[in-house]
Amino acid sequence: MSTSSRNQNNAQQPSFRKGGHRNIGAPVEKAQNSSRTFRRLIRYFRPEIGRLVILFICVAVGAAASIIAPTLQSSAIDSITARQFDALPKFLILMIVMYLLHSGFTLLQEYVSAHLSQRIIKRMRGDLFGKMLRLPVAYLDSHSHGDLMSRMTNDAENISNVVSSSFSSLCSGVLMLTGTLTVMLIYSWQLTLISCSVIIFSVLFTRLLSKAIRKYYLRQQELLGSVNGIVEEEVSFYRTVTAYNQQEKAVKKFSETSDELTRTGIIAQIISNAMGPMMNMLNNMSFVLVAVFGAIFVIRGSITVGVISAFIIYSKQFSRPINELAQLYGEIQTALAGAERIFEVLDYADETDNGTLRMPRTQGVIEFKNVNFSYVPGKQIIYDFNLKVEAGKKIALVGSTGSGKTTIINLLMRFYDIDSGEITLDGVNIRDIPLKDLRDNIGIVLQETVLFTDTIRSNIAYAKPGATEEEIRTAAEFACCDTMIETLPEGYETVLTGSGANLSQGQRQLMTIGRAFLSYPYVLILDEATSNVDTRTEKNIQDAMYRLMEGRTSLIIAHRLSTIQDADQIIVMDHGHIAETGTHEELIARQGQYYSLYNTQFAGRAT
Amino acid sequence: MLRYMKKYWIFALLAALFMIGEVAADMIQPKLMAGIVDDGILGLSGNGTPDISLITTVGIRMLLIVLAGGLCGILCAAMTNICGQSYGNEVRKACFSNIMKMSFEQTDSFTTGSLITRVTNDVSQVQRLVMSIVRGLIRSSMFLIAGTFTLLSLNVHFNIVVACAFPLVILDIVFILWKTNPLFGILQKRIDRMNTVIGENISGARVVRAFIQEGTETERFDRANTELVETQMRVLILTSFMRPIMNIILNMAIVALIWIGAIQTKAGGMRPGDVMAAITYISQILNGMMMLAMIFQTFSRGFASGRRINEILHAEPAITDGPGVGETAVKGSVCFRDVSFSYPDNQAEVLHDIDLEIRPGEVFGIIGSTGCGKTSLINLISRLYDATEGTVEVDGVNIREYKLKELRDRVAAVPQKNELFSTTIRENILLGREQANENEIRAAAQAAQAEEFILEQPHGYETPVAEGGTSLSGGQRQRVAIARALLKKGEILILDDSTSALDLVTEAKIYDALDRDYAGITRIIIAQRIASIRNADRIAVMENGSIIACAGHEELLRTCGTYQDIYQSQVKMGGAAE
Repeated sequence: MSTSSRNQNNAQQPSFRKGGHRNIGAPVEKAQNSSRTFRRLIRYFRPEIGRLVILFICVAVGAAASIIAPTLQSSAIDSITARQFDALPKFLILMIVMYLLHSGFTLLQEYVSAHLSQRIIKRMRGDLFGKMLRLPVAYLDSHSHGDLMSRMTNDAENISNVVSSSFSSLCSGVLMLTGTLTVMLIYSWQLTLISCSVIIFSVLFTRLLSKAIRKYYLRQQELLGSVNGIVEEEVSFYRTVTAYNQQEKAVKKFSETSDELTRTGIIAQIISNAMGPMMNMLNNMSFVLVAVFGAIFVIRGSITVGVISAFIIYSKQFSRPINELAQLYGEIQTALAGAERIFEVLDYADETDNGTLRMPRTQGVIEFKNVNFSYVPGKQIIYDFNLKVEAGKKIALVGSTGSGKTTIINLLMRFYDIDSGEITLDGVNIRDIPLKDLRDNIGIVLQETVLFTDTIRSNIAYAKPGATEEEIRTAAEFACCDTMIETLPEGYETVLTGSGANLSQGQRQLMTIGRAFLSYPYVLILDEATSNVDTRTEKNIQDAMYRLMEGRTSLIIAHRLSTIQDADQIIVMDHGHIAETGTHEELIARQGQYYSLYNTQFAGRAT
Repeated sequence: MLRYMKKYWIFALLAALFMIGEVAADMIQPKLMAGIVDDGILGLSGNGTPDISLITTVGIRMLLIVLAGGLCGILCAAMTNICGQSYGNEVRKACFSNIMKMSFEQTDSFTTGSLITRVTNDVSQVQRLVMSIVRGLIRSSMFLIAGTFTLLSLNVHFNIVVACAFPLVILDIVFILWKTNPLFGILQKRIDRMNTVIGENISGARVVRAFIQEGTETERFDRANTELVETQMRVLILTSFMRPIMNIILNMAIVALIWIGAIQTKAGGMRPGDVMAAITYISQILNGMMMLAMIFQTFSRGFASGRRINEILHAEPAITDGPGVGETAVKGSVCFRDVSFSYPDNQAEVLHDIDLEIRPGEVFGIIGSTGCGKTSLINLISRLYDATEGTVEVDGVNIREYKLKELRDRVAAVPQKNELFSTTIRENILLGREQANENEIRAAAQAAQAEEFILEQPHGYETPVAEGGTSLSGGQRQRVAIARALLKKGEILILDDSTSALDLVTEAKIYDALDRDYAGITRIIIAQRIASIRNADRIAVMENGSIIACAGHEELLRTCGTYQDIYQSQVKMGGAAE
């Protein structure tokens, strides 16, 4: 909608404020390499060339009409002054034609520009989203989610705005500027000089002021951030705030920051809002100068009265594009910086997926051979890891936090690629298997509970959208959440909200287990999947899983040792190494690390 | 909400006065200009000879008026800002301090997200509304009224133009606003929808990939994206009509003015300069109308925000202070008498007929399955919620008798989800008791087994905790939260499954430290693992909102079936546990 306010090319009369001063002084971001990004952007928008040409034509016709219209008005006034009333109808009809042309093409221009901006933003968002699905998980883990969100929403929107509306502003600005200046010079170079001097003065003045308020703006932005931060934190952590009687202190902290924001805000806004009246004043001065000097020139006979009337309009038409162009510079810079950020995402290498050995159904033989891995170079997490999992076995990984259990899963799913060594599935290096096949074979329940804003039904049927009612219910039953779901007023149709406030953490975990059960994978991985579930429910889920996964491989990571005692093989991990392996009985008999872990867990403390 | 304006109405009044000055200056210009043309250049009132001295005197007068008008404009901007921002500040502070008085029943029903939006976005909407009323409303209505008056004073025959243009402009504005306004609500929903899809795909990337749902997600996103773009298009296209139609009306009015002006001049009832002035006035008038339309748009949004803020300001906390109790003879006892409880927005009873007495200095364990009411039970002790039936007593006094602060000072609770603020680790622990000295802080951290990792941090105790505590691991966060509670030195310490992310050795060390250094205080420990509570004096076994058994570990093992089940589920092989 900024389009509509920016392109008001009509014959406005003096003393009207333009809408464009609000953002003056707002910090401008700079792109690292503007010219390269700019060229890139042009290539990216090549499919829109046709629309941009139409847009340009619309702008050009509109601008021409608004340059010609005042000359007609001037002639009309002159015919009144000279009392030649017969000439008048001709001018008036021409004026109507010009105005209609102007309005018609403005409308067309806005229409095209709306289409253009929406097409661009849709395509950009689509490209970014598609990219996001192909980015390596490592990228998503190491970049702030808020930042990615903002690239997909704010940056994309900025670019589409700049391409559609700033393009028209730029074209119309340049056209109006040259056209108006030409006509003004033809009428009277002296008057042109007078109005231009005021305008140039006003532009310089604006620049100066906007520099002056920049630091207040930055401070205001900062304080706004901290006010929002305080609200967010104190309100989200309200439980702790009340538990420690911190309400008064919170209010005091909030009030202090809020007061300071107001003080800074008042200064920044007074300066920026004063700019409107000041520009108005300068415009009015140019109006007065045009009137006075125009009058003197009329008396000297160098111009007519109508010319004054035209000049009043022209000086207005002239100053607007100058201010707009000055502002555009900042907008384009910001958009380029955004485009750079977007291209940075689009350019990031996809998840490597060049395996060609199809594997529709795995036997479930997993082998890690001399695997080394570090998330950050120099901080190795997994050292020379060797493990062979036979088909259809239940394997458990235990060990303290940070021993590398989850990392092993990340590597097997190829969320991350190993530094050296080899991981094989049925003897095939997992790098040689298409990601789709690899992941299709393996079902997983993660440590963090991920549910989507959708019904419980769709969440459980996530991996198998066509699942029957029967299948969904059975999966829920296996995951011990069927009774709980049925007690909800809307049962399986209950929509889970983003924050999941309507269900407890344990209940949410059960649903993700149901989801994995329904996908019925050849290899099932549970990563601390029942940490918030009580031990008896956990036991039931275990039993169900053993029934379900009969003959299929499963891998369980668990904190509670009770969960994994029935496993065929228990792997005790310690600092990225395998400390011991064996069955529960073997490990207990060995009286090593597992034995001491087990004792702390079940015997309680020594006291 | 209006009462927060009280201190600032004087600024609003001054702003209005200055605005009148500014507009008046603008309105006089075209009239003086007409004088320059008619009397100065054309010499119509004299004998047809131009009058240069008149032109310069009028010119100087115009310049002075311009300066005065500009000054008024700047002062008006200043006053408006002082008034609007100070008012916004007052409302913002009032909202926040009211939220800080709310009980959980209310924060639950508002939801955290909505409370945050209200304090931030809605307040700035209202602030914007106030400023646009003070400035825009006065400005545009003055242009509208005074402009019309002056225009007609130039020549009454212009009334036809005004009479035709007005309704057309109003029709244009009303029609488009009427068409677009409902779209804004839809638009907001579509934006939210799209953001949700993006957000979920970023944070749930592993799940999407593990289940190879990239295709479905792309479809879901495409749907959201397309719907958003469609709505946005409708809004853009509808609004794009407003301006060009306005312009046609305005420009046709100008043509009509020139035509009527010509007829009048021909008849001798009017002078050319007046025609020029009339053109300026009509555009002032119509633009005034346009501005008014825009302001009305701010109105509807501002009022919606105002309503949402009022809901906060008028919310009465459901749980309020009692008369106050002061010192009590007993310290550290908790007693539930026939307590039943259901959450305010839900009929289903969460706790039934709880009768329980926890003695001073006792170590009391609570165990039970997911959703059986453990957390709800302990929430009642510090009056996060009030029991629906029955009474809860602390230190032998009904908790409703205490002032809330008094009551909560006696209880130190570590919630399930530990909440660390984005300040230093020290500040986070100090939240427990601000007056605590260095030794006390360190003692608490040591007991919580936190000192070791704290000292390993780059700045030790002064290390900042990143937003939401992401820089520390789950187990480390839990330990900081425990240290905080220990520092508080309440009479009753509640640990609500607070050691779930700790490895077993560390957990055991914490419990040992509690026995050693905090033996005098009552400890209520909710746990999943029997090992965590087997040494407690008594253990309550909860099931479906009731306490089905309450005794020591050995006795429960003999007498309570559920407890045996839990025990069996944790100690499969028997022997090793003993």
